[in-house]
Amino acid sequence: MKIFSESHKTVFVVDHCPYMAESCRQHVEFDMLVKNRTQGIIPLAPISKSLWTCSVESSMEYCRIMYDIFPFKKLVNFIVSDSGAHVLNSWTQEDQNLQELMAALAAVGPPNPRADPECCSILHGLVAAVETLCKITEYQHEARTLLMENAERVGNRGRIICITNAKSDSHVRMLEDCVQETIHEHNKLAANSDHLMQIQKCELVLIHTYAVGEDSLVSDRPKKELSPVLTSEVHSVRAGRHLATKLNILVQQHFDLASTTITNIPMKEEQHANTSANYDVELLHHKDAHVDFLKSGDTHIGGSSREGSFKETITLKWCTPRTNNIELHYCTGAYRISPVDVNSRPSSCLTNFLLNGRSVLLEQPRKSGSKVISHMLSSHGGEIFLHVLSSSRSILEDPPSISEGCGGRVTDYRITVVPLASVIVKESLTEEDVLNCQKTIYNLVDMERKNDPLPISTVGTRGKGPKRDEQYRIMWNELETLVRAHINNSEKHQRVLECLMACRSKPPEEEERKKRGRKREDKEDKSEKAVKDYEQEKSWQDSERLKGILERGKEELAEAEIIKDSPDSPEPPNKKPLVDMDETPPVEKSKGPVSLLSLWSNRINTANSRKHQEFAGRLNSVNNRAELYQHLKEENGMETAENGKASRQ
Amino acid sequence: MPTVVVMDVSLSMTRPVSIEGSEEYQRKHLAAHGLTMLFEHMATNYKLEFTALVVFSSLWELMVPFTRDYNTLQEALSNMDDYDKTCLESALVGVCNIVQQEWGGAIPCQVVLVTDGCLGIGRGSLRHSLATHNQRSESNRFPLPFPFPSKLYIMCMANLEELQSTDSLDCLERLIDLNNGEGQIFTIDGPLCLKNVQSMFGKLIDLAYTPFHAILKCGHLTADVQVFPRPEPFVVDEEIDPIPKVINTDLEIVGFIDIADISSPPVLSRHLVLPIALNKEGDEVGTGITDDNEDENSANQIAGKIPNFCVLLHGSLKVEGMVAIVQLGPEWHGMLYSQADSKKKSNLMMSLFEPGPEPLPWLGKMAQLGPISDAKENPYGEDDNKSPFPLQPKNKRSYAQNVTVWIKPSGLQTDVQKILRNARKLPEKTQTFYKELNRLRKAALAFGFLDLLKGVADMLERECTLLPDTAHPDAAFQLTHAAQQLKLASTGTSEYAGYEHNITPLHTDFSGSSAERM
Repeated sequence: MKIFSESHKTVFVVDHCPYMAESCRQHVEFDMLVKNRTQGIIPLAPISKSLWTCSVESSMEYCRIMYDIFPFKKLVNFIVSDSGAHVLNSWTQEDQNLQELMAALAAVGPPNPRADPECCSILHGLVAAVETLCKITEYQHEARTLLMENAERVGNRGRIICITNAKSDSHVRMLEDCVQETIHEHNKLAANSDHLMQIQKCELVLIHTYAVGEDSLVSDRPKKELSPVLTSEVHSVRAGRHLATKLNILVQQHFDLASTTITNIPMKEEQHANTSANYDVELLHHKDAHVDFLKSGDTHIGGSSREGSFKETITLKWCTPRTNNIELHYCTGAYRISPVDVNSRPSSCLTNFLLNGRSVLLEQPRKSGSKVISHMLSSHGGEIFLHVLSSSRSILEDPPSISEGCGGRVTDYRITVVPLASVIVKESLTEEDVLNCQKTIYNLVDMERKNDPLPISTVGTRGKGPKRDEQYRIMWNELETLVRAHINNSEKHQRVLECLMACRSKPPEEEERKKRGRKREDKEDKSEKAVKDYEQEKSWQDSERLKGILERGKEELAEAEIIKDSPDSPEPPNKKPLVDMDETPPVEKSKGPVSLLSLWSNRINTANSRKHQEFAGRLNSVNNRAELYQHLKEENGMETAENGKASRQ
Repeated sequence: MPTVVVMDVSLSMTRPVSIEGSEEYQRKHLAAHGLTMLFEHMATNYKLEFTALVVFSSLWELMVPFTRDYNTLQEALSNMDDYDKTCLESALVGVCNIVQQEWGGAIPCQVVLVTDGCLGIGRGSLRHSLATHNQRSESNRFPLPFPFPSKLYIMCMANLEELQSTDSLDCLERLIDLNNGEGQIFTIDGPLCLKNVQSMFGKLIDLAYTPFHAILKCGHLTADVQVFPRPEPFVVDEEIDPIPKVINTDLEIVGFIDIADISSPPVLSRHLVLPIALNKEGDEVGTGITDDNEDENSANQIAGKIPNFCVLLHGSLKVEGMVAIVQLGPEWHGMLYSQADSKKKSNLMMSLFEPGPEPLPWLGKMAQLGPISDAKENPYGEDDNKSPFPLQPKNKRSYAQNVTVWIKPSGLQTDVQKILRNARKLPEKTQTFYKELNRLRKAALAFGFLDLLKGVADMLERECTLLPDTAHPDAAFQLTHAAQQLKLASTGTSEYAGYEHNITPLHTDFSGSSAERM
C-alpha cells in the first residue's frame, strides 16, 4: 500500500473555451406531465446540456464518489481553462468537498460563446496542472517532517484528467508534448525549492468529448509511456451520459473500486403502503471488500455486467435485521461506500435506513442453499461502511475455554464492598470514613450470619457458581487484601483493618493451623478419627440450639478450603477435623447453653490472642484485671493494695 | 496460520545418503526425521496450529487434511510410498485448492515444501513451468503468488554446493520471488546427516513456529500470556515506512470502551490470549489447558486454581459488554474482548487494529481518548443514556447531504417535479417550494445549465396561468416572483447569479387586508 501513489493528487482540467458552450445534442425532457392534468397543454420543449455542463457534472460525480469513499488523503485540484487558467481550489483538506467546488464552478459560470476562440486554450490549464502537481500537500508535508532525513521517501505522483474538445490526433500529441515539456521545466524549478516537489510520475488522462451525432476527430489510445515520468491515454467520448459513464469507469479504475449490488431490499410502495416490493441498490467501494471473491476466482457469484458499464458487480442479498442487539462481529475490513445512483429512491431509502443506526447483514446467494453471511452494512457517525465479515473456517476454532486455563478454576474474582472499597483507597480518611467502613464490615458480618446471598453477578460464572459460605470466605479474603494494601496510609486505615480482623470469622492463621491440623490428622487411623469425631459430637449435644449453630460453623470451616467448581475437590467435607474446636478453651462446655454473643467474642478473642504476645499483665490478671504499679506495693506495704482493691470494688 | 507440509515423494528422494558406520539412509528418511522434529515441536509448543500433509510426484495427494492431531501426521510420515518424477507446479496448484477450500482467501498460511532440489524433467518440471511463466492465460495461471497471504518455506534435502552445481537454487529462488518474496529457502549446512537436518529444521522452527509470549498489564495487575497465532509484523506503507512493525511483548491496557461504541471494527488479525504459568526460570510450565499427560494434568490443576488476571479481565469484559483497548506499539492499538466459541466455551481474544493515530474514524484519534472523569461533563450522561461515539465527520457524505445529480434524466425530472408539486400547493408549501427552487438554482448555476433555469421559469409562468379560480391569490404572486428571479439568474450576470444568493418568498400580506375588507 502506498499513500502517495498517483491517486493522492488528481488535477481536473476542464476546457472552458467558447466551443464548450455548444449543445451536446442530447435532449432532456424536464416538463413531465402528471396524470389528472388539464388536457390540451403542450409540454415545454426539451432542453439539452452544453458540452461544458456535461463535463462539469461528470467530473463532479467523479469527485462525489471519490470523496465519499476517500474523504482524506485523496485530493482534487480543479482547474478551468480559457484565456487563462482558473484554479478553483487548493490541495488543503478544507477545500476538499463538493460544496466548495460547486460554488467555485458557479462563480466561473458557463463558457462565453462569444469570446474570441483564438485567445482561449486548454494549454493554460495543463500548464497550471503541472504547476499545481509540484505543490506539496499537507499530507506530503507532514510525512516529510515526520521522516526527517528520510524525507525523500515521500513520493510525488499525480494524475491529470483533462476534458477538452480536441481538433485532431496531432492536436492531442501537441497537448501531450506540452505537458511533457512543462513537467521537465517545473521539475527543474522544484529541484531548487523547499516548497515544491519534483513530479516522479504523472498520469495524463485526456478525454476528448464531442456532441452526439458528430464524428470523432480523435482516436482512442490506451495508456502509453511517453517518458519515465509521464504516461498518457486518450479517450474519445460522446458527451452526455456517455461521458458520465466514462468518468464513472475511470474513478473505479483510478481508486481501485468495485461494485456490490444489494438485492432483495424490501421497500414500502408509495402507492400501496402495506405492500412492499424488492429493490436493488448498487454501491461502489474499495475492491478489497471483495477480497474473498477475487482471490478465489469466484467473481461470478451473481455477477452481472451492467449496461454501459464494463465493471462487474457482485450481488449480495439483504437480510432483514431482526433485532438491534449489539454484537462484536469478526470483521476483516470496513470500506466506505458510495451509491452509484445517489438520489434514486431505493438508494436513499437504503442509506437513510443505515444512517438511522441500523445494520444490515448481507448474504451470498448460493445455489446450494447454505446461508453464508459475508458482509455487513453499517453506519458510524453519518458514514456508511461495508464491513467484510469472516465467513471461512476459523483457525481458532475449538479453542480451550478460559475456564480450563490458568486461574480458570477460581470462579469469583469480583465483589462489591461499597462504600468501603471506594473509601479505603483514599490517602487520608476522616472519622466519618472510618465509621462508614466499620459499618460496612458489621453489615457484612450480619449478612453472613443471616446467610444472605452476596450481591454478586452470576452472569460471568459457569454453572451455579460457588456456594454461599465459599463466597463469604473469598469475600473476606479479598476484603482483607484490599484493606491491608492501604494500612500504611494512616492510622485510620489501620483502624479499619483492626475492625475487619476483629470481625473476620476465619483469620488466616486459623486456616494455616487447620491445614497443619489436617496433615497431622491424615496420619491418624480413620477409625480413630471417627471415634474422636463422635466423641466431640456427643459432648456438644447439650443444647439443640447450640448444636444448630455449631453445625453451621462446622460446615463453614469444613468447606472453607474446598473450591467448589473443581470436580476433584480435596476431601469430602465431613471428614474435616474440627481442630480449632480442640483448641478452644473448654470453659463454656460445662456452662451449658451459651449466647451467640459469648460464642462469637470467644472466637474473636482466641483469634486475636494468636496475633500477638499476650500482655504480661493480662496473663497474670485476676478477673481480667491486672494490678498496676505492683512494685510500689512492694515498697509501700499492703495498704495501698488494699485501698486499690477496695476502690475498685 | 495453518501449515501445509508438501513432501516430495519422487524417486530422487530415495537417493542414498552415505553416513559412515551406520545403516543406509535415504533423503526421504532425512526429510521424515526433520518433519518429525517439526511435528513434535508443534505438538508441545504450538498445539493449536492446523497442519495438513500433501505428498507429490507427478501427481499429488492430500495425505492428512488440516488437523491438530500430530500423531496422525506422524503416522502418515511413516506410510509414504515412492513414486515417479517431481512435478512441482501441479502440487502447488493442489495446495491452492486445499487451502482455499478450507480457509478461503484471507487467512495467511505457511507452506513448508520438502524436496531434494531435483526439479523434475520435461513437461511439468519446474524449469518448464518457469520457462512458460509469461505465456499463461487466466485459466492456467501459475499457482504463485498463492491466492492467499502466505509464506513459502523450501526445505532442501541437499546442501548449497549441490544445489548450486545445477540451476536448482536459481529456480527455487524464482519461486520465492514469484510469491512476492514471501518465504525462504533452507539448505543443509555441511554433509547430509540427521544432525544437520535437525539444525535446518531448528532454524525453521525459530523463524516460524516459536510461540509469542507477552505480559498483559493493567495498572498493577499482570499476567503472562501466549498470543496465538503469533502476530505477524505489519508494513503500513511500503514506501514511506518500509520497516515492518512488530507488536510489543508488554501489552498494556490503556482503557475500556463499550462494545456498542467500538462497533465491529475492522481488524488485521485476531488472536487467542492464553494465560500461561511460568516457572522461576521463565520457562513455560503449561497453558493450564488439560492434557492427557498425567504430570501436566496436576501442574495444570494447580495453575487453574491460582487467580489469573486474564480470567478476571475476560469475565469483567463479558459481564460489562466492553472491550479493553491495548497498546501494541507506538501509535498502534488493539482490543481485548470475550469471544464465545459456543454457549459454554469462551475466551479472551485480541484483535489488532491497523497501526496509526486514528485506526477507527468513529472513535477519532486514539491519543485523545481518556477517562470519563477527565471530561467536564460525563459524556455518557448521568443516567448512562448517551454516548460521545460515533464521532461525526466534518463533511457529510453525498448520501447524507441531499446532493444534486442530474446525470440521468430521472434525477432532473424528480427535482423539477418536486418544485411543481409544491407550486400547486402554494401558499401552504411556500417554504418547501423555495427550498427546492433554490436547490435547483444552485446546481444549475454550478453546472452552467442556465437553460434549465429558463425552462423552469417558463414552467412556473404556465402554472400561474393554470391556477384554478379557487386558488389563493398569493400563489400567483409567488409563482410570478419565482419565475422572474430564475429568469434573472439564467442571464448569468453576477448580480443575479450569485451561488450563495437564495430566492426568498415575496412578502405579501393578504390576511391583514382581507380582514379589513370584511
